[in-house]
Amino acid sequence: MSQRAADALFTALFSLTDIRALLRETAPTHEFDESQKTAAAKALASVKKQIAILEEELL
Amino acid sequence: MKCAANIDARMVDEIAINLDPIQVAGRLTPEAMKAIIAWGDGYSVCDNCRKPFRLDYIQNPPLKEFHVELAEWLGMDQARTVPGARRAFQQVAGTYVEKGDPVLIGALAHYTSYLSVEIVHGVVREIPKTADNHITAEATAERIEDVIREFGKAPKLLYIDHVDYQFGNMHDVKGIAKVAHQYDVPVLYNGVYTVGVMPVNGKDLGVDFVVGSGHKSMAAPAPSGVLATTEERADEVFRTTKMTGDLTGRTFGIKEVGIIGCSLMGAPIVGLLASFPRVKARVEHFDEEMANSKIVVDALKSIEGTKILSEYPRKHTLTRVDTTGSFDVVAQTHKKRGFFLSSALGKKGITGIIPGATKIWKFNTYGMTRKQAEYVADTYLTIAEDNGLRVA
Repeated sequence: MSQRAADALFTALFSLTDIRALLRETAPTHEFDESQKTAAAKALASVKKQIAILEEELL
Repeated sequence: MKCAANIDARMVDEIAINLDPIQVAGRLTPEAMKAIIAWGDGYSVCDNCRKPFRLDYIQNPPLKEFHVELAEWLGMDQARTVPGARRAFQQVAGTYVEKGDPVLIGALAHYTSYLSVEIVHGVVREIPKTADNHITAEATAERIEDVIREFGKAPKLLYIDHVDYQFGNMHDVKGIAKVAHQYDVPVLYNGVYTVGVMPVNGKDLGVDFVVGSGHKSMAAPAPSGVLATTEERADEVFRTTKMTGDLTGRTFGIKEVGIIGCSLMGAPIVGLLASFPRVKARVEHFDEEMANSKIVVDALKSIEGTKILSEYPRKHTLTRVDTTGSFDVVAQTHKKRGFFLSSALGKKGITGIIPGATKIWKFNTYGMTRKQAEYVADTYLTIAEDNGLRVA
């Protein structure tokens, strides 16, 4: 159980880091092109999935 | 927003385009950010440290492999990591310079070069710059002769910046190294603005030591840096301890004296390691960085009264500019005085220029996207026109 929670935590943090990188490369307007929108959607979906796992494992 | 009790969450690069000359090439890659999340604890990289108990022998994370690749990538035989370029200067000076020994340093060098000689009680003699702010092989030869006349011996060491921090000008390292070697003077190549930014090959340049900065140009956390050398010099600069405790008889294996054993742990070494693949790839695209630089430089140049003080055409993304005849004229009567420029830039999400600077200042476009470079150029032109300056 604890390994699954730790994996989910790190995966979520890494996906959030991918969003951080997108914010940096599009500053200051943060107008995303199509590929950046796709990358952001993928990262957000990953974060949501990992949060669900954390809820399952920890609550 | 705070990230800890009284520490703000720093979001400079998330919300603005950063032009800070010393910061831009040291910004972390996403890979480094992720590695630091996992490996940021103090002695984390020591999880798998086994005999002979030295940083550059650790295989997980792959530090051993990294050190080998690093040396090869720099065109040298051996490499070590250090806590910042200044510690590499200190390590080399500590190996070769004794009290009263002369050391030649280019007149545009960073202060840490000077201090690394001072700490070993050496004597600095400078190589003068030309009128167009370059350090040349001719001036180097003359100064070596001066030193021989003054001290009765050649300099023990010569430091040369490939690209200096004051103008971002590129200097003739190859020619300077050739001259120095005619007098058997070892050459330390200061690559803090080049290693990790553009291709560097120490053997092609003919230098004895290559120094780079992790936090300035290799997308790594501070303090981090690299020191690479030739096989011929490695046994000297990377010499191992011979020390024995007089009471205990303790000895200390193969720890290296110059960097006091293991040099770089936790976040700095893991960040350097994680960014390395992307850093190796990005140096091959320096032409794209220069194209972005040109967009911004040419925009500034088109504002009447503005002078580019760095060599032109530019060879590096760090540029020194004189706007005494343009933005500073506006500052004389503007209600915000000299702060009008940084304020106007800030409103448009551009940061990194010293607030209040409207005379002589520096900026660095490294790491921008094309869209960001165009945005910066347009913003400068708009600010100029809005304040009554003519744009060609």
